[in-house]
Amino acid sequence: MSELSKWWATFRVSWTQYLAYKMNFLLLVVGPVLVFFFIRYNLWKSIYTLEGIDTLQGYDFATMLTYQVWVMIIGFLGQGYNGRNLAEDIRLGRISSYLIYPFSFWRFHAGNFLAFQGIQVLVSVVTLAAVVAQGWVPLSSASQALAILTGFIYTLCVGFFWFQMSYIIGIMAFWLDETWVIRVMMITISQFFSGALLPLEIFPEVLQKILAYLPFPYLTHVPVKLFMGEYDGSLLTAYLMLGFWTAVLLLSGRWLWDKGIRNYTAAGI
Amino acid sequence: MKHHLRIYGEFVKNCFAEAMSYRLHFVLLIVMDLMFYLSVMGTVEFLFLHLDQIGAWNRNDFMFFMAFMLAVQHLHMTFVSENFWNFSYDIRMGQLDYILLKPANTLFVVFFRTIRPGTLLNGLFPWGYLWYFGDRIGLVWWQWLLLPLLVLLALALMTSIEILMSMSMFYTVESMGVNFLRMQLQQVSRWPDIVYQGFARYLFGFFIPVLLIGSSPVHFLRDPHQWRGMVQMLGLMGLSWLAIGVFWKRGLRAYESASS
Repeated sequence: MSELSKWWATFRVSWTQYLAYKMNFLLLVVGPVLVFFFIRYNLWKSIYTLEGIDTLQGYDFATMLTYQVWVMIIGFLGQGYNGRNLAEDIRLGRISSYLIYPFSFWRFHAGNFLAFQGIQVLVSVVTLAAVVAQGWVPLSSASQALAILTGFIYTLCVGFFWFQMSYIIGIMAFWLDETWVIRVMMITISQFFSGALLPLEIFPEVLQKILAYLPFPYLTHVPVKLFMGEYDGSLLTAYLMLGFWTAVLLLSGRWLWDKGIRNYTAAGI
Repeated sequence: MKHHLRIYGEFVKNCFAEAMSYRLHFVLLIVMDLMFYLSVMGTVEFLFLHLDQIGAWNRNDFMFFMAFMLAVQHLHMTFVSENFWNFSYDIRMGQLDYILLKPANTLFVVFFRTIRPGTLLNGLFPWGYLWYFGDRIGLVWWQWLLLPLLVLLALALMTSIEILMSMSMFYTVESMGVNFLRMQLQQVSRWPDIVYQGFARYLFGFFIPVLLIGSSPVHFLRDPHQWRGMVQMLGLMGLSWLAIGVFWKRGLRAYESASS
């Protein structure tokens, strides 16, 4: 079996698994949409209408809505659920079967991630079509289409960053009993500091300056600005920053796996 | 009642013993909760750097509401939250069989057997915030006396709605989606009803009444003339438990007992 056909087989199996529980999958998609429509839309509408303000730190209501739509799309493409069962698989010895496959554990999970991303791309396209039809995201010129394409490619890289982060957190189960707490911590910190809850312009200036040196803005704020065609920084720097942190995660993942597998007791065999 | 209190005492002891065995997890839980509290309060704090009020509410009014919801959330995370994830696992893996055989009310064992001691110890932050902002908005003695009762009532409504929602886990089997949706609805409830308008206010004020969880008690506490929300809250809680009774029985009939 060629390397490519192994990837393809993993992709197909994972795709089927993700869609096996259709209601569950639908609810996972409905959740973020619900948050967008009912919390963010209403919250910002109240702020702008009740307070009678036109702009808040450079955002009028329409731009703020567009910002929040892109946050939702980045949530679809950037943050998967891969590796959430890894801790249990390691603790209960379920990864033993993967170890005798002619396809490495990491590759298996990467294939799984690609299948998930495939589904999420479809979900994003459908959601985007709906919000464009609603007029919340402008898409009438070639430059706007190009901005969306640029943002889309960058967001796929963000998705890979999060996959690798999830993988690392998952394999920490070689040492820890539960790893979901670390995952939730990472999501909480990054959502707050990446601009997923509030645009970073609303943050105090000192904090904005500090955040520029951390990876968080590159996970949501930068891709949102790329999608909106308003990113005024260097695209190369953004890719380099994201690439640097992804490389750190890849190397750490390799190192942790090599160390952790020596601790693995294959419980249940 | 006495029988179930004794059982609950055993659940608490077991959970404390387990928490003490996995100390790093215990510490990480505390850090995770702190981050959650800080991110919620930070979001509102940063918003009010640029705003004087939202509707009729100024920063202190808004922060008091957020602190009220954090106190509810604190109790929820301590005493109930983890059980929803366990319930999903129990159904999928057939573990519910063993719970059904136990000589105690099954709903009680399913939804109240796991407690997070780490989160319980972390209560200083949300309750401290509640005390601080309660003081800032000038609560008087009877309001202070009423406050813990209203927090408990809000917790009861939140738990009732979530237990009712989780009855769908009998049918979805893989229940991450239901739990995920449950958490999204918690997010909806974490903002006051003054923020919601039109359809959203109607939907979450009546059909999925998560807006009542925090808004009704806080409005009533500030102005007892606004008691209608409290009546609505109690009525909907009663309806929820009637529906839970019906759907629990139906769910058990649909349960396929994966282990056997």
